[in-house]
Amino acid sequence: MKAYWQLTLAQLRIFIRNKQVLFWTLAFPIFLMVVLGFTLGKGGGISVTVGVVDADKSPQSHELLSLLKKNKALSFEAKNTKEQAISSLKQGDLQIVLQIPKGYEERIKQKGAGSPFALPVYYDETNLTVSQVGQQLVNNAIDTISKKQTKYKPSVVIQPEGIESLHLSYIDFLVPGIVAMMILNNNMNGVAGQIASWRERGILRRMQGTMLKAHTFIAAQITARLVLNGLQALIVLGVARMVFGVAIRGSWLSVIAFVILGTLAFMAIGFIIAGIAKTPESAAPIAGFLSFPMLFLGGVFFPIKDMPDFLQPIIKLLPISHLSTALRETMNVGVSFASLGMEALILAGWLIIAFVIASITFKWE
Amino acid sequence: MKQAESMITVDSLVKRYGNFTAVNGVTFQVQKGEVFGLLGPNGAGKTTTLEMLVGLRKPEEGTAFIGSFNIRKELQKVKEVIGVQLQSTTLFELLTVEEILQMYGSFYPKHLPIAELIDDMILTEKRKSRIKSLSGGQKQRLAIALALVHDPWVIFLDEPTTGLDPQARRTLWDIVLKLKKRGKTIVLTTHYMDEAHVLCDRIAIMDRGELIALDTPETLVRNLHAASAISFSVSSEVDLNEWAKVEGVTKADCKEKEVVLYSDDLQLTLTSLIQTASERQIALEDLQTRTATLEDVFIHMTGRSLREE
Repeated sequence: MKAYWQLTLAQLRIFIRNKQVLFWTLAFPIFLMVVLGFTLGKGGGISVTVGVVDADKSPQSHELLSLLKKNKALSFEAKNTKEQAISSLKQGDLQIVLQIPKGYEERIKQKGAGSPFALPVYYDETNLTVSQVGQQLVNNAIDTISKKQTKYKPSVVIQPEGIESLHLSYIDFLVPGIVAMMILNNNMNGVAGQIASWRERGILRRMQGTMLKAHTFIAAQITARLVLNGLQALIVLGVARMVFGVAIRGSWLSVIAFVILGTLAFMAIGFIIAGIAKTPESAAPIAGFLSFPMLFLGGVFFPIKDMPDFLQPIIKLLPISHLSTALRETMNVGVSFASLGMEALILAGWLIIAFVIASITFKWE
Repeated sequence: MKQAESMITVDSLVKRYGNFTAVNGVTFQVQKGEVFGLLGPNGAGKTTTLEMLVGLRKPEEGTAFIGSFNIRKELQKVKEVIGVQLQSTTLFELLTVEEILQMYGSFYPKHLPIAELIDDMILTEKRKSRIKSLSGGQKQRLAIALALVHDPWVIFLDEPTTGLDPQARRTLWDIVLKLKKRGKTIVLTTHYMDEAHVLCDRIAIMDRGELIALDTPETLVRNLHAASAISFSVSSEVDLNEWAKVEGVTKADCKEKEVVLYSDDLQLTLTSLIQTASERQIALEDLQTRTATLEDVFIHMTGRSLREE
């Protein structure tokens, strides 16, 4: 235990005294955020106008619409035909079109028997951020209805509160992405580089000559990096809040939980790279080879849905996609941790698999 | 040999790297309180032998005991009673002397008072300095302090003075002798003959993975049967037998144009050498005489110089 604390302390001291690394690992994400935020983020708030084509015109469809209208972030425009609505969508007057086909009422009365009823939602692919948010909102309302129908014991009632003041711009989309990027870079690239260099310089070998156990060493390394990453994430969130007024709508605990989960998963991958890399010089390119595509594909700067279809299955497997999505959902929409179970699960899966591989490939020298 | 108890028992250790046998069946014992030197050129297997003893490499065959602990089966116990200084150690450069000693101390169940240890290693002024700012000699003394932090029985020093200036080497020698006085058992490798001579009670000479001699420095030199060495170079090669015929020569070595003659009677041999040279009209260049050293022992035994790669 003494060794664990001493090593953690030593690692934190090394971090703090390595002023240059400390500065640049913080300066880079903040710089990116500020530059992108000011150039792209000025689009102002999102106002989502939903075009509604109600072909059913039943009490049930009215109920759905009135539920949707409770959201102040959404405004509505009734359209008579689908074609009319779509053309407005193409012109940018509408961001989303919701169609309630005939037969909706009947289907609702069947109380959810058979396959779920599909409500077509059309959105503008060129304006994804906005349409995504809109979809999310529409989805929530529909979810509420369908759960009510099936007498679901809902844990979803919290939703409308976060949404009421929803006013999102690109910077809101960007900040969670930047935090995810920091976690990826600092841990995967950081661990790979540091461990490979310590090994090369014989630092690890010297420690192997003592009674120190490998797991104590790794545990201390993990702890120190968690503290450091936690603080860095907080600073970035603080800057985002002060400069751009980006707030966290969901629970802080949930954000912290995903920061920790992401840190652990990427650190484990970093340990694998450190194990594979024969020299510290080769660790950086290997880490770069893995991190670069992840930054572009994994929803850090661009929405995952913008990525080509054939890449989607790969993207769905990347840990970064789930980390950025989870952070974004928590921060922007205020989704609870419980409803991000899938993201948490996949990150945990990466963590466990990577950790097992890392412990097999780890070498002191 | 002394009747003292044996602190280290090495029994036919073998280490191979692919087809290359780095250490080929080395056997020796080190007594408690002894300073034991492993001597040899680069690649002789000194470091590999030492690294097997401290558990950094697994021997293919043979075994060794530190005290009563088997290095193959009780490594954790072995590590508790040994202290290690590895060749060209690098440490966390951004930590201070005090901090890194505290950290290494925490790796063991108990450790010495850090302040005293720092005083002992003449690092008092550098207590709060970062490792980055230390000189080569100071870093080496810190490396030894780290080896001593848990008050081990046996201390392994791998080329402790390589790359140090003469002053720093002397300081380090004093430290080793001080440790010996306190009853520590010390195993060190070196390729400096003078160092081995000053520090070591006994010396094992290694070459190509094998132990080729093991004795006190004095006995090793005495066994050369020559008190003095005469070295010179010639412009064209001369048959070795010609040199052996010079009066008083007990042994003659020659490598290309460099010749070394060993003699118990320096004056007689020198006179005879000059005579032979002028009779045959051989020009002797760089003629030097010196007392025979361990270096000569080594050259004689292996036909190679210690510093040779």
